[in-house]
Amino acid sequence: MGFGFAIGVFGVLILAHAAYATIQYRGLLKILEEEFSGPPTNVIVELLLGLVFCISAALSVPGEFLSIHPDSEENRIVSLPANLDFMIFNHRGKLFPSEKDMKLKC
Amino acid sequence: MVGAAEEAQLNRLENQVDNGGGGAWEYLCLVRKLKVRRSEKVLKHGLSILNNPNKRSKLGGDEWTLHEQVAIAAIDCQCLDVAKGCITALQAKFPESKRIGRLEGMLLEAKGLWGEAEKAYSRLLEEDSLDQVIHKRRVAMAKAQGNISGAIEWLNKYLEIFMSDHDAWRELAEIYVSLQMYKQAVFCYEELILSQPMVPLYHLAYADVLYTLGGLENLQAAKKYYASTIDLTGGKNTRALFGVCLCTVAIGQLSKGRSKEDKESSDLQSLAAMALEKTYKQKAPSKLPLLTANLRNLKLLS
Repeated sequence: MGFGFAIGVFGVLILAHAAYATIQYRGLLKILEEEFSGPPTNVIVELLLGLVFCISAALSVPGEFLSIHPDSEENRIVSLPANLDFMIFNHRGKLFPSEKDMKLKC
Repeated sequence: MVGAAEEAQLNRLENQVDNGGGGAWEYLCLVRKLKVRRSEKVLKHGLSILNNPNKRSKLGGDEWTLHEQVAIAAIDCQCLDVAKGCITALQAKFPESKRIGRLEGMLLEAKGLWGEAEKAYSRLLEEDSLDQVIHKRRVAMAKAQGNISGAIEWLNKYLEIFMSDHDAWRELAEIYVSLQMYKQAVFCYEELILSQPMVPLYHLAYADVLYTLGGLENLQAAKKYYASTIDLTGGKNTRALFGVCLCTVAIGQLSKGRSKEDKESSDLQSLAAMALEKTYKQKAPSKLPLLTANLRNLKLLS
């Protein structure tokens, strides 16, 4: 997890550096009085690299993803809830002796 | 709805608490969340927390929820003095509370004093005539006294007001099935599937009732719903696989004289038969020859 976090920080730094390089490039173009059509190619490469690093960090840092398939082994419905609102109490369990020392003290 | 992972966690916690490993409070919270009915264990471990003043004070405000849970578990296990103690403690803390009035009604039910319980519930309903749980308790009381038709009447009246309560629809469907009134049960299951279409167990129950009713249309519909169960469970439900095979055989027998226009689904039963064989090979290989012989007899396997 630490490694993923480090990659994430690195990716953010790369994006920040790309932003700084673009601003500097614009300043240079203003001096040369040319139009600003788009960032230079090395900045674009840097942006893509930063994107890849940040996305891989975002997927690995938060941890294990939960399964969403309804028929996967951990999600499969085993039983319906026992409908406790309609619970009745005169079942055969009345005749089974429960432990006699169950008492609520105080 | 209890999933497989949740059930495994519940059993693990139960084992842990039973063998003295602590974690009773998590176990009780999980039981409350999943709404399972494990009254003996809840009573034993709940009392162990309540009787220990240290653990009790650690709970803070949750101790009253625990009192309620232990009271209901005690009533279920017929330890009525424990229940009375819990209810008295709750009453001291929350006087004039409807939830506690309900608990008292349940205690009277468990003691068998049906008239008094009925009076207690009517009194609570006078104060608030739209209390869902009290209505349901009245239905349960009628059921407990053996008055099934009265229970059906109360439940129908309840469902006219609260049509979206799927627990009540399920209860009504089960009562109708127990009385063999299958047409009405079919209606209830249809309501359930409409409100919760992604629960495969309802599709399965609906298909079972349709198959029981019989008749060509019902059998065809039953086959469709068994197929939808197989779809929703990813082919893992053995009962649905069997259902498809048997429906096909029954439809074939019924439409023997008529023309065979619909042969479109002849793949479905052979696929289901093959899937059944695979499941049995994996899980119960000793029974595989029995299954294969039966499927061959029904002409589902070649």
